[in-house]
Amino acid sequence: MNVTEAGLDRPSRHAPRLRPRKPAASRAVLLFLGGTVLLVLTVALSLAAGSRAVPLTTVWHALVDGGHGSDTLRSDALVVTGLRVPRTVIGLVVGAALGVAGAVAQGVTRNPLASPATLGINHGAGFAVVVASYALHLAHPAQYLPFAFAGAALATLAVLALARRAGDLDPVRLALGGTVLDAVLISWTSAVMLTSHRTLDDFWLAGSLAGRQTDILLPVLGPLVVGLALALAIAPALNALALGDETAQALGVPVARIRAVGGAAVVLLAASAVAVAGPLSFVGLAAPHLVRKVTGADHRLLLPGCLIVGPLLLLAADIVGRLVLRPVELEVGIVTALLGAPLLALLARKVAR
Amino acid sequence: MTPATDPATTAPAPRTRPAPRTGAIARQRRRTALLATATVALLVVLTAIGLGTGEVDVPPPDALRALVGLGDAGNVMLIQELRAPRVLAALAAGAGLAVAGALLQRVARNPLASPDVVGVTGGASLGATAVIASGAPAALTSPAALGGGLLAALLLGLLAWRGGFTVNRIVLVGLAVQSGLAAAVNLLIVRFPAELASSALQWTTGSVYGRTWAEVGTGGTAVLVGLALALAGHRSLAVLDLGDDPAGALGLAPRAARLRLLLLAVVLASVAAALSGPVGFVALAVPHIVRRLAGPPTAGTLALTALTGAALLLGADLLVLHVLPVRGLPVGVLTATLGAPWLLVLMLRQIKPTPGSAPR
Repeated sequence: MNVTEAGLDRPSRHAPRLRPRKPAASRAVLLFLGGTVLLVLTVALSLAAGSRAVPLTTVWHALVDGGHGSDTLRSDALVVTGLRVPRTVIGLVVGAALGVAGAVAQGVTRNPLASPATLGINHGAGFAVVVASYALHLAHPAQYLPFAFAGAALATLAVLALARRAGDLDPVRLALGGTVLDAVLISWTSAVMLTSHRTLDDFWLAGSLAGRQTDILLPVLGPLVVGLALALAIAPALNALALGDETAQALGVPVARIRAVGGAAVVLLAASAVAVAGPLSFVGLAAPHLVRKVTGADHRLLLPGCLIVGPLLLLAADIVGRLVLRPVELEVGIVTALLGAPLLALLARKVAR
Repeated sequence: MTPATDPATTAPAPRTRPAPRTGAIARQRRRTALLATATVALLVVLTAIGLGTGEVDVPPPDALRALVGLGDAGNVMLIQELRAPRVLAALAAGAGLAVAGALLQRVARNPLASPDVVGVTGGASLGATAVIASGAPAALTSPAALGGGLLAALLLGLLAWRGGFTVNRIVLVGLAVQSGLAAAVNLLIVRFPAELASSALQWTTGSVYGRTWAEVGTGGTAVLVGLALALAGHRSLAVLDLGDDPAGALGLAPRAARLRLLLLAVVLASVAAALSGPVGFVALAVPHIVRRLAGPPTAGTLALTALTGAALLLGADLLVLHVLPVRGLPVGVLTATLGAPWLLVLMLRQIKPTPGSAPR
């Protein structure tokens, strides 16, 4: 299936079946079960793998009874509960947020290249956080949050303004504007970083899941839930939007309002993810494409699918980063950047004519 | 040398001591010459300032004399050993990048094309970083940067080719290639902190800090050769501007000529990036500036592009070094901070909505 035609001017070929037939429904259930099993396996691997490999049985004991027994058992258990459980939980939450944000961004803009990273939203949030922590000497992610939201929202508005033409969104323009805006924000961010000589630890800017505790998630929980609810609420409308603005309008879908709600959902989800883990690419772009390959373009299946595949991809990237250069760890941000660039190049090759 | 803006009108022009010419061409030529003189003067001033200012201030005239070995022995040492390589690196890299950008923009007929947008300087940085990380001798940096730049160009060509090239696809795919290469450079820097930490900023954002004579010697020579070739090849550039069929009728094989010029642009950008790292937006902005100041492209404006690029990069480096309150800022941050919004504006102006893509 050609993404060009699907995403751009012939939406009808990409149009979802609005009423899934019965067999498709049971197939979806199977798919989701399969995805969940895969995700559970990934989580287990994420708890077990790393510079210090912990056997799965020890992981189980550590989780269930806190790891009694010999010294090695206890220190293994400490690694699992103290380091890897928070890391994995954060990976699950951030991956889900990015995956859904990517799916909504692609749906709202009808653009297969859209994602929080390629539209510059992630780095908008990152830039705002870096500037704010430089100017106001912030030190905790809970304080980052409002600035992350402001930055993400501004970047979204900017990229939409760049792409707006004749009252509608031009996909290629949007993608170009987003990538260029991203480059601008990256260079400004590095300028501020260099000016300040400190601000954040390098890990935050590279994007990482390590070295955080789960309480970092508390302040972003509210925005995440709201963003997710908004995203799921507009899923049927996104299906109509895939048919083109005028068709959607004719079907009684308030296009402008759906776009605004979708944009708000993307901002909430992406900014929360950035505040927790730093700007991460790839997941938001790849998850919707992978899920679409399996479930088709129906957003009512796509969004929950991304809820599973997003964490799957992020945790897998994190595991890869832990294992390739053992005992040194590679930040998940670098792994996702290396994975994301070829994907973006291939998608760009398909989309831009 | 007659710049062949429009061969139809320039061809019959007598080459032996012509009477004072009138008309647009003569006006533009005068203007270009004037601008070139002004830029050369600016370059001399900037060079003198660049050589003279620092921890120990040397009056600019003394600094210029010390460059050729006259005057106080301490000054000569300071300037010849420490400051001159940096200044020369900035000059050579600026000129090389600017001309590479001008060549690319003209051959690709795309005002957005420039070696830093499409990933060539990123590839060059990756090559140079790989050499440093593997502990190979510093003399290999330039060839490795060249190899990296060529590989990046090849990669871009393969990825963007779909029975032809389009402006949007080249730029979009190029940006993706550039970001991937930047990630790879980051990876190397994280992986080999000891060897690369000191020069990390050079290879991620671009800087001329700490160049040595060995690097400037090979890199500068390569840039000079590239500039000479570009000026020599200007005639085919001008013929190509006429379009493929007229170019063929004038006895130029358009595909071969275009490939040759593109290759030259990639080589120039790569050797320049070996000196300065991926300094952003000089290659993009300078051709536009020159075009605005001096009018349509001729051989003269190509030379002016080289001068302006050198002046711009050296000026930016001096700003970073002496005017901005932050110490140790790489020059690439300044050029990118100022130049990136320019890219946005250009993009806005240039990219027309693709026909048929606007949803009906």
